[in-house]
Amino acid sequence: MSQRSTPADISFNLTVGLIAGIAILILVAPVLIVIATSFTTTQALRFPPPGLSLRWYGELFDPVRSAPIHTAALNSLWVAGWATVIGSVLSVLAALAITRVSRPSARALEASFLSPLVLPTLSYGLAALMFFSVLGIRPSLNLLIAGHLVVIAPFVFRTTLASLTQLDPALLEASANLGASRFYSFRRITLPLITPGIAAGAFLAFIASMDNVPVSLFLSTARTSMLPIRMWGMMESTLDVRIAAIAGVLIVAILVLMVVMDRFTGLTRRVSA
Amino acid sequence: MGRTKAEIHPSMASQHTATAQAAQPLTLDGVTHSYGTGFAVDNVTLEVKGGELVALLGPSGCGKTTLLRIVAGFISQTNGKVIIGDRPIDVLPPNRREIGIVFQNYALFPHMTVAENIAYGLAARGESRAVQAERVAEMLATVRMEGFADRKPRQLSGGQQQRVALARALAIRPRILLLDEPFAALDKNLRLDMQIEIKRLQRQFALTAIMVTHDQDEAMSIADRIAVMSHGKIEQLGSPVEIYDEPATLFVNNFIGSSNLLKGRVEAVGSDGYRVALESGAVWTLAAKGRFEAGAPVLVSVRPEQMVLADEAAPDRLPVALKLSLPIGGALIHDATAAGGEDIKIAVPRRPGALSTGPGAAFAALAPHARPSLFPAASS
Ligand SMILES: Nc1ncnc2c1ncn2[C@@H]1O[C@H](COP(=O)(O)OP(=O)(O)OP(=O)(O)O)[C@@H](O)[C@H]1O
Ligand SMILES: [Mg+2]
Repeated sequence: MSQRSTPADISFNLTVGLIAGIAILILVAPVLIVIATSFTTTQALRFPPPGLSLRWYGELFDPVRSAPIHTAALNSLWVAGWATVIGSVLSVLAALAITRVSRPSARALEASFLSPLVLPTLSYGLAALMFFSVLGIRPSLNLLIAGHLVVIAPFVFRTTLASLTQLDPALLEASANLGASRFYSFRRITLPLITPGIAAGAFLAFIASMDNVPVSLFLSTARTSMLPIRMWGMMESTLDVRIAAIAGVLIVAILVLMVVMDRFTGLTRRVSA
Repeated sequence: MGRTKAEIHPSMASQHTATAQAAQPLTLDGVTHSYGTGFAVDNVTLEVKGGELVALLGPSGCGKTTLLRIVAGFISQTNGKVIIGDRPIDVLPPNRREIGIVFQNYALFPHMTVAENIAYGLAARGESRAVQAERVAEMLATVRMEGFADRKPRQLSGGQQQRVALARALAIRPRILLLDEPFAALDKNLRLDMQIEIKRLQRQFALTAIMVTHDQDEAMSIADRIAVMSHGKIEQLGSPVEIYDEPATLFVNNFIGSSNLLKGRVEAVGSDGYRVALESGAVWTLAAKGRFEAGAPVLVSVRPEQMVLADEAAPDRLPVALKLSLPIGGALIHDATAAGGEDIKIAVPRRPGALSTGPGAAFAALAPHARPSLFPAASS
């Protein structure tokens, strides 16, 4: 605010500047490097690229040579899509139920719904694999959906719960007072007002499923391969530049999705709140 | 806002007869509510006549909002009945009571336009779009908000939001209108405008109304009757003039307006009233209500404007030491100390050009038509 900067101001600015610098260095720089690398003309991953071309993107979208990658990507999208849809419905119902009751048991339930966020996902993946094989269930995409569901649902649960607690109870009273039934109030007041929260949570959940490794590692097979696992496999065997191209596609897709989401829901506000 | 304050003109009068329906009385019969410990509302019995506006007035925490929420059906009372017309409504959920409410913070639906807000009650009842549109237009005209139909609530000023809240409440043609501190969020000038507006609409729609407030001026200016509440009970119910001139209890006396409390003792009970000897010197004969024995210690309550200043001593004048005089509008308020140590405020009409007077000695007497109130003193 003041024109002259005091020593405190200077140290504050220095600290903020330093943190921002580090963030750019370790968050943004790798992303830029991988994107730049994906345009290389060379046979192997190389930075800086000696020349630029779309060669590897052409390779990546080749329906024959990249068929396994396409299958893995479609599997991942399919699993992430269904896990997000089912997880969102369940989470919204759970959040609605929990805000209805004010008993202490509700708080306990809330904690248990959020627990997958703190549970080590790797141990959960192992446990799920053992559990399902004890039950005699063969690995399949449906099983992957079930596995992902558990780890990503808390994202939606949390943002929905936050928007529900921010909902002014007077609005629902006003609605009832004007003659609305409970269901009508829900449809016209509650749901529209929590939709941005649900959407923000669903977005996070979708991303979390898309790049989930620990659960997929245990529950996927050669026939139900998932994109992150396939990428890891390619990395280990061939150091194929297509990996960089995949990363480039994912980054751009997510950036676009994020801008769209932000337009509609104010995602950034919600996640940081 | 460019509106005139002359609210009643011929077209309005005809509208009045067109929309007037038989106003229904609202009766509270022994209503009691406890949130767990103690009584937030304690055995309240109150009949609001059809078309009447009663203000619930009282200090914070005395149970006004609780009472209003019981009528609206948001909380069910521990005991007692709420009756509209001659039908008890206690079994009805809030959405079947057909009571209009203007909430303190308006509670407009933020994601809907003004028109959608106003149409909400009709939409919830499944009325056709045509009926909704017609009623919205009518209501917007009623609260003079034509041209705002497509705005969102956050794009409106406080006063405009309140008009929309009123329009929304009235659009369902409620039998009863409840207002919870309707003016609390408005600044002073707007307040007067909205008070007149609400009074006009309440008359026009012949609504039986209860308004909660803790602002006595507000209650005095727009209510037909005032119920003064304290600790969940109604201390006094009466017209603003009765409440002000004849407070039934010391609590009401102190809560409404300002008054000087003078200690005294009843010397004699005569046909023209009680002869009271004040501790600060004077002897007054007061035709006050209440029953007091000779010798009883009493508190005499005199409003500042019921006293005058004189220069010479007399048996019915008490000597005072003037400390400070402040011109407040058309009055000059003298702050003085009586011989008994009591603080006394005396308001006299200010002569044009007259300025504050300095400290000095004077004598305070009752103004010619003053009717002080008498209350029993706890002990002497
Ligand atoms: N939900 C509640 N749970 C427990 N006690 C409550 C609740 N709401 C109100 N009370 C208590 O009931 C009493 C009456 O409260 P109420 O809100 O009716 O007061 P009020 O007259 O509206 O006050 P104000 O002028 O401050 O709005 C208070 O003592 C309050 O603490
Ligand atoms: Mg209140």
